[in-house]
Amino acid sequence: METIKLFIKSALIDNVVFIQYLAICPFIGMTNDTEKATGMGLATTFVIMLATAVTWPLYKLVMVPLGLEFLQTLFFILVIASLVQLVEFFLKKMSPGLYNAMGVYLALITTNCAVLGITINCISKNYNYVQSLVYAFGSAMGFLISMVIMSGVRSRVKTANVPKAFAGTPILYICASLLSLAFLGFKGLIK
Amino acid sequence: MNTIIYTIIVAAIIAILLGILLGLFKKIFHVDTDPKVQLVRDALSGANCGGCGLAGCDAFAAAVVKGDAPTNGCVAGGSDCAKKVAEILGQAGVEVKPKVAFLACAGTKECAQDKAEYIGMKTCKAAQLTMSGTKKCAFGCIGFGDCVAVCPFGALSMGDDGLPKVNKSKCLACGKCAAACPKHLFKFIDADTKGAIALCSNKSDNKPQIRKDCSKGCFKCGMCARKCPEQAIDVSSGLPVIDYTKCTSCGTCVSACVDKVLVIL
Repeated sequence: METIKLFIKSALIDNVVFIQYLAICPFIGMTNDTEKATGMGLATTFVIMLATAVTWPLYKLVMVPLGLEFLQTLFFILVIASLVQLVEFFLKKMSPGLYNAMGVYLALITTNCAVLGITINCISKNYNYVQSLVYAFGSAMGFLISMVIMSGVRSRVKTANVPKAFAGTPILYICASLLSLAFLGFKGLIK
Repeated sequence: MNTIIYTIIVAAIIAILLGILLGLFKKIFHVDTDPKVQLVRDALSGANCGGCGLAGCDAFAAAVVKGDAPTNGCVAGGSDCAKKVAEILGQAGVEVKPKVAFLACAGTKECAQDKAEYIGMKTCKAAQLTMSGTKKCAFGCIGFGDCVAVCPFGALSMGDDGLPKVNKSKCLACGKCAAACPKHLFKFIDADTKGAIALCSNKSDNKPQIRKDCSKGCFKCGMCARKCPEQAIDVSSGLPVIDYTKCTSCGTCVSACVDKVLVIL
């Protein structure tokens, strides 16, 4: 029960994009069409899961005993960036189709703040290993949901008559803020 | 003091571990890329127009080297490009016949009537979606210039008569305009084509309606085919289709055409 609660909380109530304001760059940059947005969302999900699975033990088993907590950001970035590279090599060889679909986004994910944000959150919220993975998966799903919703909104914005002053990126921020308000409505979902 | 030493040791171990892993992965999962692909890619025009029917220049280069695409597939690059690509692959070059786009509609503002006043978004796509075009003729050019906006070579411009004009010296027949046109009015012909051509795409059989909608609509009378001394015109599909191996540009069909649908190129 607690696990399901944690999943819903991380995916909807504490949505990465709409509530925590992380990963705004791919959220604005990659939502041009639904297919790309889904690809980016799934690729990010994969990397977030992998990063959490590796950084949590690194922190708890190596950094805490040695008193190196202050190096969290540095080590996490180092590990995440290398992991993405490893995955890229792996995919290129084993599944060129998936690599072609995901390849461009993979490199972008290296600098995705959602990945770092979620791994650090897992630590700061004092989750155990299973909870961390559930939290990471929930947050990643939240990111995927927000990407797909935004790409749908954008396809409507494209054919709408937007006032000149708002055309382009500004209208997207307005859409994003309205969506964010809507997501605040999930606040009471779990006591 | 301990903290500093631990920092250095842990950081070094992690970095070295990851470095070794990266090196190993690169070796194990190494993918051989054909150097020819890059050479072919450099020989292409690089407009990423998609005229070859593939996703872009990179996709085309990969397909050519694999043998999935013809060496003369790059329409934007023309003969020079085809020659270079063929040289790289060690094949005999195949000549490329340059093609150009032309608009199969003569429904200017004066000839073709509007159904109603349209005040929505000024794009052909929107007009097509909301009221299937602004003109009474369901096949006619909408005239908001989606094709002009999408042309990567600046070969299209919107004329005063409400129809886009093709600049034949700039057009490379990449096909972007044809894909953007909701009425599918762009056709591609060899740039050096000489002969008659029909400037109408009205496939309707409702003859009185054709007349009402547009003064330049093809009436499907078949007079052009009957009058042609060379039997170069086929009207079995409704609209006249000209066989350019037979056409002599004599102009008989043009003078025979009641609606002045045919013109000599």
